[in-house]
Amino acid sequence: MNIFVQMWRSIFRTGFSDSPVHRVFRVMGNFIFHLHPARVSKEGIKITHTFCLGGLSAFFFVVTAITGGVLMIYYTPDVDKAYANMLDLENVVPFGMFMRNLHRYAAHAMVIVVPLHMLRVFLTSSYKSPREFNWVIGVGLLLMTFLLSFTGYLLPWDQLSYWAVTVGTTMAENTPILGAKGPFSVLGPETDVRFLTLGGTSIDQPTLIRFYFAHCIGLPGALVGLMALHFWRVRKAGGISRPL
Amino acid sequence: MNGKTETKERLRLLTVIREEALLRQRDIYPKEEKVDTWPNLVVKELICMLIFAIVLVAWAMFQNAPLEELANPGLTPKEAKAPWYFVGLQELLVYFDPWISGVVLPTVILVGLALIPYLDPDPIKGVGRYAIWNRKFAVFCFLFGFTMWFALVAVGQYFRGPYWSFYWPWESKEIAKQTEVVLTNFPLPAGIAFLAGYFILGLIVPAVAFQNFFWRLGLLRYHIAMILFMMMMLVPVKILLRQAFHIRYILKTPWFNI
Amino acid sequence: MLKPLIDIHEETAVPRRRVLGGVLFWAAWGVVAILGGVLGAGMLRFLYPRALYEASKIFKAGRPESYKVGSVNLVTGRGVWIVREQEGFYAILAKCTHLGCQPIWYEDQQVFKCPCHGSRFYKTGINFAGPAPRPLDRLQITLSSDGRLLVDKGKTVGMDYILKA
Repeated sequence: MNIFVQMWRSIFRTGFSDSPVHRVFRVMGNFIFHLHPARVSKEGIKITHTFCLGGLSAFFFVVTAITGGVLMIYYTPDVDKAYANMLDLENVVPFGMFMRNLHRYAAHAMVIVVPLHMLRVFLTSSYKSPREFNWVIGVGLLLMTFLLSFTGYLLPWDQLSYWAVTVGTTMAENTPILGAKGPFSVLGPETDVRFLTLGGTSIDQPTLIRFYFAHCIGLPGALVGLMALHFWRVRKAGGISRPL
Repeated sequence: MNGKTETKERLRLLTVIREEALLRQRDIYPKEEKVDTWPNLVVKELICMLIFAIVLVAWAMFQNAPLEELANPGLTPKEAKAPWYFVGLQELLVYFDPWISGVVLPTVILVGLALIPYLDPDPIKGVGRYAIWNRKFAVFCFLFGFTMWFALVAVGQYFRGPYWSFYWPWESKEIAKQTEVVLTNFPLPAGIAFLAGYFILGLIVPAVAFQNFFWRLGLLRYHIAMILFMMMMLVPVKILLRQAFHIRYILKTPWFNI
Repeated sequence: MLKPLIDIHEETAVPRRRVLGGVLFWAAWGVVAILGGVLGAGMLRFLYPRALYEASKIFKAGRPESYKVGSVNLVTGRGVWIVREQEGFYAILAKCTHLGCQPIWYEDQQVFKCPCHGSRFYKTGINFAGPAPRPLDRLQITLSSDGRLLVDKGKTVGMDYILKA
């Protein structure tokens, strides 16, 4: 066999021929397509049934993950440098602004598409047995989406982010029992949940580092884990729900 | 383990697998028409992804993400708004104390959402299709909350100007609003009576009026579902009380206010 | 629902082994629970550092004579207003009790207004409009030994606290 043909075939194992066996093998043998079963219900894949919303949520997450990873190259989570890094991204780094825009808009899209996906799942009763717990995981994914957006909001360290996070974390201060200013509070300002999120009593360097960690490692890690579980359970429940 | 038990073990496993497969085939999943994933589903996913990739790239090329001045802890901007997806909660802060709209309500929303599959009494109705008219109450609850969330976001985002005053889109936000509405509180007994009456009536009336619904859910499911429902409805009730009757707090105690 | 047709325990299980197995089973879970608890508690404690590198909560705010009677002065960088009244001084924390934004003092209307949700406060810090649930925090203010004003942001005092001039 020609060496190039051998190389090609080692990567793309099914060739171009079309037959039922080839179709099945193409799905089974591909890392990404293998998320799907080899054959799917005809009703379930109608575009008006799912509107691709779940897939789009995952797609937007992948876009934010890739652009976010790239942005990390030019970003320093330091209160003296963060804002300057943002200006650099806008003015000095070629395609820096483009990457930041993509990251932000894909995140916005995710915050829109995830609730819409939930709406679709609700309207088609797809949370019913045996998919109950997968819906709960989905609620976890929704929470992760919001938390990721919120933690990312602080990182540019501009007026918008500073005051939005001030408002957000003062709510934590007002948590009943666990917040210093909330009803029935038992913890002081140096032990309550606001301190825990800020890493201090005011929004400063420790806060930026905490949010940076949560935004880049903690929450995406949790999100990916939950996503894997979510997809796995979709398959185990027999794929996309369909009329019984 | 000797050979005999090993065989039995394998037999047992096989039985379990076979039984599960049979169950799936026979009870839950009737026969259905299937098509190959490749190319039928994969093509649709590809088109969908490409369309939205183009939209994203175009959006990112023609509009830049905002960046304001460097963070300044000593100067709050005239319009301090949360990110748009939290503006709904910020809008609620007008009507409720921060511990309710910032902590209790989001928690209740998330817990309520997570409980949906366990509160729905019917395991089959409407699965896999848009059977909206067969599930009126469930769909109403979800759509009501869903719409309220986005309506609050829209109001907060487009109708609120400096000092969180209400501005119509055609009004200039430069002109400061001088609306000093004097707010009153319910007296303590009236507040307790109102809340207690609200929840007790909200639990009893549907149970009596829709007995079929009550018995289908059972005691525990019914109470959890209705308490969550009444909490959701408390939000528009409070908004109405504030806007129409200038009520600040329904219940005012030394420890907390609702 | 999924019931095995043959129960393998019927023949193999000896009561002694079964008890031992049970003990081991619960002991293993006990170790897991203890480890999880210790690690979890350690992780939680890890998030509370022993030292904070923050600006001091106590600061000096100049000589009392430099404040005009009836004026409200923002100490920039500290987020505190020092109010000079006829009878004396008091310090107010410039942090809205609603959501922590910094209110703005309007000299002409003699009110503090918060930009975030429009809470209003009188000069004394008492809330009268908008969603703020409490008056603004009043801080301890004393005279230091060198004759300058000394404010402690860590100590809130009652609404009647005033440093006699």
